[in-house]
Order: sequence, then C-alpha cells, then structure tokens
Amino acid sequence: MDAWVRFSAQSQARERLCRAAQYACSLLGHALQRHGASPELQKQIRQLEGHLSLGRKLLRLGNSADALESAKRAVHLSDVVLRFCITVSHLNRALYFACDNVLWAGKSGLAPRVDQEKWAQRSFRYYLFSLIMNLSRDAYEIRLLMEQETSAYSRRMKVSGVGVSGGVEPGGLGAPGPPGGCLPQLVLKFRLRILLLARVLRGHPPLLLDVLRNACDLFIPLDKLGLWRCGPGVVGLCGLISSILSILTLICPWLRLKP
Amino acid sequence: MDAFIRVANQSQGRDRLFRATQHACMFLRYLLESKAGKEAVVMKLKSLESSVSTGRKWFRLGNVVHAIQATEQSIQVTDLVPRLCLTLANLNRVVYYICDTVLWVKSVGLTSGINREKWQMRAVRHYYYFLLLSLVRDLYEILLQMGQVARDRAKREKSSRNPPEYSVVNEETEWLQSFLLLLFQSLKRHPPLLLDTVKNICDILIPLNQLGIYKSNLGVVGLGGLVSSLAGLITVVYPQLKLKTR
Repeated sequence: MDAWVRFSAQSQARERLCRAAQYACSLLGHALQRHGASPELQKQIRQLEGHLSLGRKLLRLGNSADALESAKRAVHLSDVVLRFCITVSHLNRALYFACDNVLWAGKSGLAPRVDQEKWAQRSFRYYLFSLIMNLSRDAYEIRLLMEQETSAYSRRMKVSGVGVSGGVEPGGLGAPGPPGGCLPQLVLKFRLRILLLARVLRGHPPLLLDVLRNACDLFIPLDKLGLWRCGPGVVGLCGLISSILSILTLICPWLRLKP
Repeated sequence: MDAFIRVANQSQGRDRLFRATQHACMFLRYLLESKAGKEAVVMKLKSLESSVSTGRKWFRLGNVVHAIQATEQSIQVTDLVPRLCLTLANLNRVVYYICDTVLWVKSVGLTSGINREKWQMRAVRHYYYFLLLSLVRDLYEILLQMGQVARDRAKREKSSRNPPEYSVVNEETEWLQSFLLLLFQSLKRHPPLLLDTVKNICDILIPLNQLGIYKSNLGVVGLGGLVSSLAGLITVVYPQLKLKTR
C-alpha cells in the first residue's frame, strides 16, 4: 500500500499508467474487432480509450516546462555528442508537448477553431525527431561501451600472454580480412559483433531498457504519420510495452539511463 | 520555473493547480455572467471548467489507498480528541473516494446501471462529514493553542513588576477583545493551523451548497474553492507549513 502511495504521488507515474491503459484498450479493441465481439463492447472500449487520451492530455499540461529545464541541464554535459543528442531530444519533446497542449485546448472547447489534424501531425513529427535523437544517443553509448569492452578484452589477452591467433583478433574486428573477404569470416565477424552487443546490453540494464523503450515508441509516430503503417494492433502492443518499461524505470530509479 | 516544476511533478501539486483553475473559472463566470457581450467568454470558461473537472478525476483514482493509509496513521495519534476526529474524518474520506470511483466508472461508460444522483449525494455527504470532523479537530487545536498563549501571558504578567492596568472599557467588549486577541496570537504562532483552518472553512462551503444546508451562489463557492486550493498549494510548495499530527 505504501508503495502505491509513493508511486502515485508522482504525476508522471499516473500519466504513464493512463498511457499503459490507453494502449491496452487500443490493443484489446483491435483483438475484439478481429474476433468479432459485440459492437456494444467495442464501443465501450473505444469510449474508454478516448477518455484516457483526453485525460492524459490534461495530465501533460505543463510538461513543456519540465522538458525545457531538462534541455537547459543537458547543455552542461561534457561529451559533445551526448550534449547535442540529449538537448535536441528534450527541445523536440518540449515542442511536442506544446502542440499537445494546443490539441487539448481544441478538444476541450477553449479554442474550437484549432485544426486538429494539422496540429496532431505536427506533434507526431516532433515526437519522431525526439525518438530518433534518443536512439542516436543510445547507439553512441552502445558504440562507446563496445569499444571499451574490446579494448579491455585485448588488454586482458596481452596481460595473460596469449598470442592473438588469426581469426579471433579482438582489435582486428574492424581490420580488413583477406583480399576478397570470404563469407565465413564475415559471418564470424558479424556473430562476434552481435555477441559483443548482447554482452554490453546485458551488462547495462538501463541502456537496454532505454533502447527497447525508444524502439517500441518509434512505431507509434511512424504509423500515425503514414511512414510505415503497422496497424492498430502493433501500435497498441508497442505502446503498452514501452509504457510498462517506463513504469519500471519509475518504480526502480536505478534502471533510468543517466547521461 | 524550478518551483513550478517541483509542484507539477507531484500529483497533489498538479491537482491543486487544476482545482485552483477550475474554481477561478467558476468565480470569473459569476462575475461576468451578468455583463452584456461576454457570453462567448463565459462559454469558454464553462468548457474549461468542465474539462478540467473531468480531467481531475484521473488524479483521484486510487486515492482510496491514500485515505486508508491516513486512517491507519491517525489511529496512532497520541491525543484522544485529534485521534477520534482524524480517524472518523479519514474513514469518511475512504467512503467518499469509493463513491467517487463508482461515479468515474459511470462517467467513462464502463457500466450503465448506476444511479448517478444517489452516488453523487453520498459522495458529497461523506466529504461534508470529513470536512466537519477536520474543523472540529482544528477547533480543538486552536483552543489548546489559546490556552497555551493565555498561560504564557499570565506567566509574563506575574514576572513583570508592573501593576495590572484597568481600562474604562465595558466588561463585555473587553472579554470579546481579549478573546479575539488571544485567537489572533495563537493563529499567528501556528501558521500550519491557520492554513488548515482557512482551507477547511473555504472547502466546507462547497458541500454546504450542494446539500442545500446553506445555499450560496456560484461566486462564493468559486472564491472559497480558489482560496482553499491556493492554501493547499502553499502546503505543497512549503511542506513545513503542513499541519502535523503529534
């Protein structure tokens, strides 16, 4: 009970729960439609989804200020690439929230002349840019960690005095193979790279969670902007997974990726 | 901006901001309703008020657990009168949140067999009992504080060597004056108590109006709600001003 009180005291936690419920409704609605459930039940689920969506827009009023503050903080980071990616991502998020506020004003009757379609498209575009920046940052962090791992491995090999035999050169993963580059060696190099990636991600749960979350989130604006129509089922499932993952980072703050 | 973000990150802070907005709209509507040519503004205020009020339900979902935890904590208060008042008040708050959740289920359309008026009246009634018991507790604390101030003043007068002065004012008004002075001094010494009392008095105007016990107008309800939301916001921004139980 104490855990629920502490969790629900954060307004972001409530918004994430509503998001999870909204995408669960979307997924459920799609599943019910596929299996031919009663139109009454489908209408109830769609209505609940609409209420959740509008409620979330209200809960998000004022999030622009938070995103701007985070962007201001990120400007002071030491690493240039991280500084650029995180700042631009937060700025895009702030713009996304601003468009979302305009949409809420339109839906709630404050500004009835708002072109809902145009502003919705704008907000999804900013959201997409923000996600692309997040994924670039994740890719950069993964690359840094992979380089660290390979240099640590080569240091260990040198110290233990094992001669580096051909084919398993850790520092030579990027080195050119024999002229013509025969296929088995390429496949081996690729497999080693994948294993290294898996090792890096397994050793850094916050980074893994962030990558999964951003990857799942990416499907939503891609579908809404018409760039890659995946269908409401996929969108609902991905939204639900990313909401659950972000609720996890709220419950366990050590799982949050720190810059 | 930092303070705003700190307040907005807490559910309670954000809810109080929305509540202040809702009641400000109500008050502004009362002020502008009689004026000609302001119908569009009044319509916009009404739609803002209703959408904020609907959205605030999401902040109240799950607060039953908060109220149950508060009831458990209030059972352990040392003083008898606050313990009784707070426990009963929190029990009423639990029932209020249960009724509120039932009303939410009806409003999102998940079920249709609920009598909205009946549950609404139940919710208002239990909210009224909660505020009444909180005010009784506030009154008890004020009387304790006044007694403390009177004792301190008597001690100071005994230790000072000046003879007591007699004024030519009527005895009755002197009693009233000294009572009000004592009340003012005890509230000044204890800002959390003042804030809590003001909040509860302003809040109780709402159920009094809805239950028909003391029918006021939209302006009084709006202003009362606005003042109590601002008082609640102050306790979120400055947590040391929250009334603590001993």
